[in-house]
Amino acid sequence: MTTATQFKVLEQNHPRVDAYEKVTGRAAYASDVYLPGMLACKLLPSARNHARIVSIDTGEAAALPGVRAVITGTDFPDIRFGSGALRDRYVMPREVVNFVGEPIAAVAADDEATAQEAIELIKVEYEDIPSVVNPLSAMVEGAASVHPELESYEGYGFTLGHNVSTLLDADRGDVEQAFRDADVVVEDVYRSQGINQGFLEPMACVADVEPSGRLVVYASTQGPYQIRAGLAAVLEMPVSRIRIVPMELGGGFGAKLRLAFEAFPALLAMRTGRPVKLVNTREEVFTMNGPRLPVTNYVRSGVMNDGTIVAREAYTIFDVGAYLGAGPNSGIGHGIGAYRIPNFRLRSYGVYTNKIYVGSYRASGVADMTFAVESHMDHIAQQIGMDPYDLRLHNALREGDVSVSGAVVPSNGLIETLEAIKEKMEWPRQLEDGHGLGLALCEWRSGSGPSTAAISVNDDGTVSLLTGSTDISGSDTSLAAIAAEALGIPMGSVIVAKRDTDMAPYTGQSGGSRVVYSQGTAVQRAAEDTVQKLMALAAERLGVPEDALGCEDGRVYVMDNEPQGLTFAQLAAASITSRGGPIIGTAALSSMPYTPVFATQAAEVKVDRDTGQIKLLRYVQAQDVGVAINPMAVEGQLDGGVVQGIGRALTEDQQFDPDNGAVRNPSFASYLMPLAIDLPEIEDVLIRVPAEDGPFGARAVAEPPGFGPPAAIANAVYDAVGVRVKQLPLSGERVLAALNGDYDEIPFDVEALRLAEGII
Amino acid sequence: MARFDYLEPRSLDEALRMLADGGNSTRLVAGSTDFLVRWRTGVWRPDSVVCMQHVPGLDHITWNPDDGLSIGAMATVQDIEQNGDVRSRYPALVAGATAFAGVQVRNLATVAGNVCNASPAGDTLPALLAYNAQCRIIGTGGERWLPMDEVFVAPGRTALESGEILTEIRLPPPAENTGGLYIKHSPRGAMDISAVGVASVVSLNADGTCASARIALGAVAPTPMRAYGAEGRLVGQIPDAANIAEAGRLAAQSCNPIADVRSGADYRREMVRVLTERTLSHAVATAGNPPSYDDIRRLAVQTAW
Repeated sequence: MTTATQFKVLEQNHPRVDAYEKVTGRAAYASDVYLPGMLACKLLPSARNHARIVSIDTGEAAALPGVRAVITGTDFPDIRFGSGALRDRYVMPREVVNFVGEPIAAVAADDEATAQEAIELIKVEYEDIPSVVNPLSAMVEGAASVHPELESYEGYGFTLGHNVSTLLDADRGDVEQAFRDADVVVEDVYRSQGINQGFLEPMACVADVEPSGRLVVYASTQGPYQIRAGLAAVLEMPVSRIRIVPMELGGGFGAKLRLAFEAFPALLAMRTGRPVKLVNTREEVFTMNGPRLPVTNYVRSGVMNDGTIVAREAYTIFDVGAYLGAGPNSGIGHGIGAYRIPNFRLRSYGVYTNKIYVGSYRASGVADMTFAVESHMDHIAQQIGMDPYDLRLHNALREGDVSVSGAVVPSNGLIETLEAIKEKMEWPRQLEDGHGLGLALCEWRSGSGPSTAAISVNDDGTVSLLTGSTDISGSDTSLAAIAAEALGIPMGSVIVAKRDTDMAPYTGQSGGSRVVYSQGTAVQRAAEDTVQKLMALAAERLGVPEDALGCEDGRVYVMDNEPQGLTFAQLAAASITSRGGPIIGTAALSSMPYTPVFATQAAEVKVDRDTGQIKLLRYVQAQDVGVAINPMAVEGQLDGGVVQGIGRALTEDQQFDPDNGAVRNPSFASYLMPLAIDLPEIEDVLIRVPAEDGPFGARAVAEPPGFGPPAAIANAVYDAVGVRVKQLPLSGERVLAALNGDYDEIPFDVEALRLAEGII
Repeated sequence: MARFDYLEPRSLDEALRMLADGGNSTRLVAGSTDFLVRWRTGVWRPDSVVCMQHVPGLDHITWNPDDGLSIGAMATVQDIEQNGDVRSRYPALVAGATAFAGVQVRNLATVAGNVCNASPAGDTLPALLAYNAQCRIIGTGGERWLPMDEVFVAPGRTALESGEILTEIRLPPPAENTGGLYIKHSPRGAMDISAVGVASVVSLNADGTCASARIALGAVAPTPMRAYGAEGRLVGQIPDAANIAEAGRLAAQSCNPIADVRSGADYRREMVRVLTERTLSHAVATAGNPPSYDDIRRLAVQTAW
């Protein structure tokens, strides 16, 4: 096993490479961009959730002094685009609005107040169309149709009709036989709520048209190349005519992976010839930009008396709102959890409704799946009279098992995370009345996708690292640490370049637990390429064969005669006149092998029997990180993720009007994220089973911490007071209702879904 | 984000004149913590704003045994929370202040502004009601005193006439053997609007019977309200568990909550019962022996008892 002492840079705490800029307030975010002659952009939200736009009268708005341009949907090319394969939306609706809040016009004016005044002068005449807000109602024959022309959309695949945008399936074994053979069958329906990503920095961008006609967009984004592609599509421009400059990112969590509102200031800049800035208000973030929408989950398991789970059936309904902003993939990818279940039938539906479209958030849907699957595990344990820990240990995936996707599970630290939590929580433990303990297992995979890196050696012996990845949660610091470790130089000798889409090579988004694992591998390989080139040059200059050389501490030397050698500085200087020229190491890759990430989490709670409120007393997590590139940053990600999960468990709830789907609480005053005062200290245990791939054996870290809290806390509530709440958040109101015995099970017609598919 | 004229009077007379000149399209602000939010979202669009920050002589908090506590209109919620006289004599008001928003907001927001904003959920209001506060109101025609339970008319509306200014809030000195507490029910430990708030102030006779009991409820009716029926149940009685439980039931019966994004109506009503019991029990237990500030802070926001 790899140990910390092998490393010179990794496994040690490093402050962020951009710490000085951040703490002095000098780091520049998109809203800090001020260009000469810059205009302010404001948006007009739709007042209806499903209506034909009869007319939009912008005359009075355009005539207001200080207003420079007004645009509506028909000012854009008549092109549908999409967040995934299915092209189901216009960047701004042309004829029909599909949710309350959908931007239907934009104004550029000399200042924000004038732009807002103009917005209020725009007159829209709507003609209402029947709408549907509840996804379960939307799936019923005869329901109002959100997209009547769905089948004509580019990218349309197999669905069952009735507002189903996507239906995914995964099957293995003989499910019916396995259920017949099972000693016990356990069945549950769970429902999780709408969740806002809650990033600190609202969407912001500045668009500018250069004299050559090239469009430059300064943006707050996780995916500069993806925004470039999105803009190119909706503006009908070649990507080469667009440059995206990613500014510092004030949080994204998936909400900034794709094109958001950049097209509006872009088109306004093209119309006016002046730079245009758009900075969203928090209310706009809540009502215009896709959050996570409620998920309903039917799950059934066949179990033997010894605890072996032999069959699983799961039907998951993802409300996708007006547009498929993020797919329902996790419904099948995470339907069996971190367990070996030989027979399964998993179905995942993405269902359109007339409310804000669904967006991405820290492994979209997996937290919902984990709440269902891990609550269900405790229900199974209770039904067969087994300890929830023992049940998990008995069924946990082991090396060599086949994962739900069909990939063979490589070596991993799942069992170690379980054992670490058992020890840390002293499980099982007798507690006083009203107190309880709960567990949850979390599983994810290290993120893959195109990754590139280039390292050039400066003539003072430092290196400049160039990647296309925007910094997310300190990823620049981790990439610098990987480069430093691979090159054998200190962290301070790695300069991380600020980049844009003209300068840096193409790369995937900063999201999905991808940057350190995949991008980091590219950086490691680029560093190795750099070392190889330095060694080749040194061999030439020193007149010795390459295999006689070693490389350490920023110096290439002759292994038999250590004083004989050349420093990186000397080699960089020499390289300028060498045959090969200046030293640049590069690497590129398109995908990475399946590398799972497992975590076990545990909550200790106290339940107030009179109010139903839950006090979280302790939260402990153990995660297999492979190798901790920068332990301080790893713990930061683990803690941050758990806190987001605790919010999901206890207080966060983006609510929608049942009649028109409008967001009912578009503010941090009514959408309650947890505060420091609400949290216990989060206790972290890092398990280190090195990954077979990934930089120096590191696994991804970011996503799993957020998955566990809803189930761990719900399970602890059951342990404390004997009631199982199957709906999130676990509000005082719900827990008290359950304590009083008037808690309603969630209705779910699984027979209808089986029948529709021909399963009897 | 409509434009408005911003006026800074330097005296009360000047402020009254500006209010009279501006009529109904003028808004008076103290800390502006309510105003800025509603202005930015377009709910309030006044033509002019009269800011009281530079009117001298309104930011005092003074106590004496004859008149009790006097709170100037510009005294902030933070001033109240930190004041030694308030802490030792009016624990329910300290609880209301410490449960109020967060430190940054408390540093700007005033108690008088909380009264004039007349939100049914205003965190200092139940305690002011329970301590029988009086409001000194000045208009161009002179001054008048109004008891707190006549101030609140409807959500966001008070009995103040157009052109009048609330300049002082006075709380009578508490009787011997008085205890009190406010508990805010909120899913979050700070920075939240209460789903329910209950203040109870109880004075005991030497024989242990209840000399007076005042119970005020927040966020469960169009205005903050007194639970007179529940109070009546206790006066003259020994405030034992059975009587307190009965008072809790009566308080719950007397309120008229709505369902909204924070909570359902039935749950609010049930929380009134629970919090009335808890605040009463605490008030009785600490009568004549006020709790420490740290205890008040710990108890003021109910996330789990």
